[in-house]
Amino acid sequence: MNELQFLTWVRGPGLNIAIGVFILGVLWRLIEIYTLGRKQDLAAPRRRPGASGFHTVWRRSLAPPGMLKRSPVSYIGGYIFHVGLAIVVFLFAPHIKLVDSLLGLSWPGLPSQLIDAVSVVTLAAMVVVLVDRINKPVKRFLSTFEDYFTWALTFLPVLTGYLAVKHLLLPYTTMLALHILSVELLLIAIPFTKLFHGITVFASRWYNGDVNGRKGVAV
Amino acid sequence: MNDLKGIPIAVADDTAGLTLSGNAVPILHEIQSLLCDLVTSGKSASIDLRSLPLFPGDYERLKEVLGQGEVSATIDAMGPTRVRETAVHGVWWVTHYNNDETSIAEYIEVTYMPEILRTHPADARVGLDMLHSRLTPATETDIGDGDV
Amino acid sequence: MSDDKTLAETLARRGVSRRTFLKFCASMATLMAMPPAMAAQMAEKLAKVKRQSVIWLSFQECTGCTESITRSHSPTLESLIFDAVSLDYHHTLQAASGMAAEAAREHAMKDNYGKYLLVVDGSVPTKDGGVYSTIAGISNYDMLVETAKGAAAIISVGTCAAYGGIPKANPNPTGAVAVSDIIKDKPIINVPGCPPIPVVMTGVIAHVLTLGTIPDLDELGRPKVFFGDTIHDRCYRRPFYDQGKFAKSFDDEGARNGWCLFELGCKGPVTYNACATTKWNGGVSFPIESGHGCLGCSEPNFWDAGSFYTALSMPADPVKYTAAAALAGAAVGVAMSFASRAKKADAKAAHQTATVADLRK
Repeated sequence: MNELQFLTWVRGPGLNIAIGVFILGVLWRLIEIYTLGRKQDLAAPRRRPGASGFHTVWRRSLAPPGMLKRSPVSYIGGYIFHVGLAIVVFLFAPHIKLVDSLLGLSWPGLPSQLIDAVSVVTLAAMVVVLVDRINKPVKRFLSTFEDYFTWALTFLPVLTGYLAVKHLLLPYTTMLALHILSVELLLIAIPFTKLFHGITVFASRWYNGDVNGRKGVAV
Repeated sequence: MNDLKGIPIAVADDTAGLTLSGNAVPILHEIQSLLCDLVTSGKSASIDLRSLPLFPGDYERLKEVLGQGEVSATIDAMGPTRVRETAVHGVWWVTHYNNDETSIAEYIEVTYMPEILRTHPADARVGLDMLHSRLTPATETDIGDGDV
Repeated sequence: MSDDKTLAETLARRGVSRRTFLKFCASMATLMAMPPAMAAQMAEKLAKVKRQSVIWLSFQECTGCTESITRSHSPTLESLIFDAVSLDYHHTLQAASGMAAEAAREHAMKDNYGKYLLVVDGSVPTKDGGVYSTIAGISNYDMLVETAKGAAAIISVGTCAAYGGIPKANPNPTGAVAVSDIIKDKPIINVPGCPPIPVVMTGVIAHVLTLGTIPDLDELGRPKVFFGDTIHDRCYRRPFYDQGKFAKSFDDEGARNGWCLFELGCKGPVTYNACATTKWNGGVSFPIESGHGCLGCSEPNFWDAGSFYTALSMPADPVKYTAAAALAGAAVGVAMSFASRAKKADAKAAHQTATVADLRK
């Protein structure tokens, strides 16, 4: 198989498989989780100011008091690479074009050089976060194969995308095909690993806040 | 095809801002080094002006420095080829054109005589035969009608 | 038939002087990025060459490659090359036809065994015994194998001969294959393109004739001097790509300003050819300069690489199975929810209350 055939495969059958598994997995897990439900809370709700689902979504987006000083890398590095990822994925013209072709939605993007800079920052932040995970004893102790695996699955698309646009390392056709392949692997992994937090995070936070809010506690 | 006529055409000024690539100066230095070789060891060489990106300003710069010499020749070879010696003796500017007057190659030759101007020894032999046949009157073996 | 006169003598008879010859070798050297000194060498060598026998086999092709190579601009190297070679067999250009033409070919093969240049355009069908393309009752496959035996080298001109081209595109009903899929024991130069640029074809032939060697080839067998860079690498619209200025549709504001055609499906980044530098029609323009994206015509399987109008970052064809996947996912999710509920019910049923007395046991 030559490089153009490889590219055509990842743009064709590969994409079909990845999107198919992604949709299957997401629906499966969403239904599985949300049909579980909870026992109905029959007590009278004790409403307190600052104790509700939305408050918790906001509060959990910030570092708990004192934690920023104890583990700055987690929060600062974490935010930088998440925001960077969002910018690169959603504001780069070829990506917008991709979404347009799949869903018919389109929006303005950012200049390509800005995206280049953001990609580099994102890659750097991810490396810093990984190094911190390995260096901090508690983090290292808590880390499993899944943590490193999902890190790699998230890192590779940004890296291969940057290399492709800049025409570095490998010929463009192969680099682009590898980029698309790495995104397909990421898509397949999202529903079945901790990466699913991307879809459930705000609902989870809201739920925690709501449940405890009824009991009159602000979490 | 009415749609084609409705498309307005405007010619853009594409020379704005693109005058000098900075490649003229290295070429001039290379010419100097080749001329030095010519003078010391008689070695000829040429520079292909299409091998480097050159903008109109670069050509101006080259012409400015090299100047115009005394010799100017046109060769009629399936389209004109213009050969000019620059004011710098030994440096020749050779431009090849095809029948449509489109430039197909451009060289700066550092030499005593550009190859394309010189007569090739084999051609001179052919020339000798040609002249000989022109000077020798028709012989008796020619079939003629008697009217000379 | 090839005679014993050298090329210089043949050309002189046609009024092509030695100087003209030198001039065109100079333009060839410029085109192939050879050192200027090569021009004089080329001229000397080429002048002494006895007319090289060339056999041109046309198989499953559209004749576009021949059309391209004969688009010469009042005498240029194309016509010189045709003077330089003894084109002993060429369907479109030869005067002979029928059995006389086949006889000419066999004669040339015998006279020049081991030395003739074989040029092939068109793919070779292999299905059903190769019956889908035959010449004088001989299948293309058989003719290729037989003619290749005595060839010094083979030049596969056009994407069909080089990689299979349009006949090979899905579903490939004739079982079309490339020349290099059949002949394994001769040096093969692939000159792809649909069609290839005229001067690229003649440049390669000129190189082989004058230097007697195969030019440097890439992994797909293409001469690096013409196929070493992608269109994207040398495209004059590259600054717009780098700045993210893309035309969104044909003839919109961006297109009129000459912005990058990536979003309109340009395959420039994945296509290796000389279009952006050498251009077409004697250097007048090339597809992107005329406002249309590159089709990728010098790459293998470009016909199957998705629509010409979908960008490289978009899926090649519409995505399939989404509805089926959604249904399947929902079904599994519901099944899992039943399983979970059953588990929960079981756990509840199996729950045993404990008293302090139990704990003291």
